[in-house]
Amino acid sequence: MSRLYDWLDSRLKLKSVERTLLDEPIPGGASWIYVFGSATLFLFVLQAVTGMFLAVYYAPTPDHAYDSVQYIENQVTFGWFVRGLHHWGASAMVVAIGLHMLQVFLYGAFKPPRELMWMVGVVLFLIVMMFAFTGYLLPWDQTAYWATQIGINMAGTVPLVGDFLVKVLRGGETLGALTLSRFFAVHVLFLPALILAGIMLHLFILRRVGPAGPWDEAKAAAGSETFYPRQVYMDAVVMLGVFIVLAALATLVPFPLTDKADPSDTSFVPVPEWYFLFYYEFLKHVHGPLEPVATWILPGAAVLVMLFWPFLDWQKKVRAPTSRPIGMALGVLFLVFVFSMLGISLKNLYAVKRVDPAIAHGKALVKQFGCTACHRIHGEGGAIGPELSYVGDRRPEREWHFKHFRNPQSVSPGSIMPKFPLTDQELHDLTSYMLSLRRET
Amino acid sequence: MSVKQPKGEVTPGFSTPVGTRRKFFQWVTRMAAGLIGLSLAIPLVGYVISPALKRRDKPWVEVGGVDELTAGQPKQLEYVATIRDGYLEAKTHKAVWAIKQSDGQVTVFSPLCTHLGCGYHWDGDERKFKCPCHGSVYDVSGNVLHGPAPRHLDVLPAKVENGRLLVVYKEFKSGTSTAVEL
Repeated sequence: MSRLYDWLDSRLKLKSVERTLLDEPIPGGASWIYVFGSATLFLFVLQAVTGMFLAVYYAPTPDHAYDSVQYIENQVTFGWFVRGLHHWGASAMVVAIGLHMLQVFLYGAFKPPRELMWMVGVVLFLIVMMFAFTGYLLPWDQTAYWATQIGINMAGTVPLVGDFLVKVLRGGETLGALTLSRFFAVHVLFLPALILAGIMLHLFILRRVGPAGPWDEAKAAAGSETFYPRQVYMDAVVMLGVFIVLAALATLVPFPLTDKADPSDTSFVPVPEWYFLFYYEFLKHVHGPLEPVATWILPGAAVLVMLFWPFLDWQKKVRAPTSRPIGMALGVLFLVFVFSMLGISLKNLYAVKRVDPAIAHGKALVKQFGCTACHRIHGEGGAIGPELSYVGDRRPEREWHFKHFRNPQSVSPGSIMPKFPLTDQELHDLTSYMLSLRRET
Repeated sequence: MSVKQPKGEVTPGFSTPVGTRRKFFQWVTRMAAGLIGLSLAIPLVGYVISPALKRRDKPWVEVGGVDELTAGQPKQLEYVATIRDGYLEAKTHKAVWAIKQSDGQVTVFSPLCTHLGCGYHWDGDERKFKCPCHGSVYDVSGNVLHGPAPRHLDVLPAKVENGRLLVVYKEFKSGTSTAVEL
């Protein structure tokens, strides 16, 4: 190995590159508080790798997207693991970026001469949110479809260009095949190219300006330590920790798809990912003419303030948190707002009365098995079998439906209804749906 | 804390761990990187190669009734099977050649010439199977009579149940002297 390295070094002069990369001085020495940037970078690489592998089986069309994700989840060896890592990795990335920004804010590391590094960082954060939004639609299940529907409609409240913007995002009048393929292209081709450029710029600036180190100038001046090996060791330990947590989540917390996207099913209550929840909650409290304020004026202003904070902050030199009480108070206020909205939202989510998931699943099964080929339900379907619009009134006994689905002829002699290969779960859900079809609820 | 100046650096107060301390940090870093790499590489390799390892069960498919066949007279029968193509379910249409023997047994030939995989036809006057591509000719039992075909026509598994003919469709490598299933 070392002979090969020497051979390469004599030609490519690797040793000087190695020294530049590893001996970067860290003012005040290595610290566990500096690990969040590396953790974010690690998570990005993990998302990139798992994403590439998901693309091996994924098909970005409404006809096949849902089935291909189900195939990855249930048929492909370790497919559930790769999808689980990608799913939980997205959440972890938002957490890591949050912690990274918090540390930089607390340490005043965004102040001159590091304004550009902060600004590129904010742009990177926005790109990650775009990744989250576009990736959410791809499985094409009910959650994906309806959450994206809402997200796109919010863009419609922007004055003048709103309606046009909605059409551009959808790729036409409706959320459908063109929406899915453009979200897919943006998620796997455009945004990765953009974020790679951003990451390189972020790291380039870091190496040109150097890390900020502790806010106490005496401590920073006391001496610096090389990036390698102690900071690298700390970063590596945290990366391993993050990976173990993600692998455990992917293994222990299954994340099944909801039913396939059904544009006609308006009973579905979509819930955005937790990192959009605070915003979702905030929107509930603002109505009428103030709505655009909430949907885009305030978020836009918040992004601009965040982006230009290094210039808006009036204390350009002082970095210690205790010496900049107002800046700190503003930061805390922002966090209190975000977390209280998140808290209220989570509380409401558990309080909200929702359609029994068994009924929703039963309804999807009716579609899947093509029951409406013979049966009419609320004006849709054939007339070969009995109409089922109010079957719950006619046949209110659960047991009857169980028997009937298992063997139609046993309770309804002479029936031409075929036996369907139903699992116990499907039998239960289909029956729940049948019983829910009543005149009054 | 054992510290020293990095080689070639003269900046005051610039330190780096040395000796066993340095070795420890290097060792932990390598272990962490190795663990992450290995626990990703194994599932990902399995993920990519898994469809290649899954052997699809080839089903018995009914192609027609035995009484529709005349002994010694080859007949082309349509073979329709539902196959799972990943997350898709598709119907495949093939045609196979069936010949009823005088003892009532049925021999079924793959419809592809063993030379390069062209479809051949039955010449009823000459009682020969002829391939239009390169002139291979087989007799009614599938033996090669002329042309470049390297082997006997490929025989497909067939059985008769309740008077119905069941067949398993397979494909074989073309151009080899022995039949190699694909």
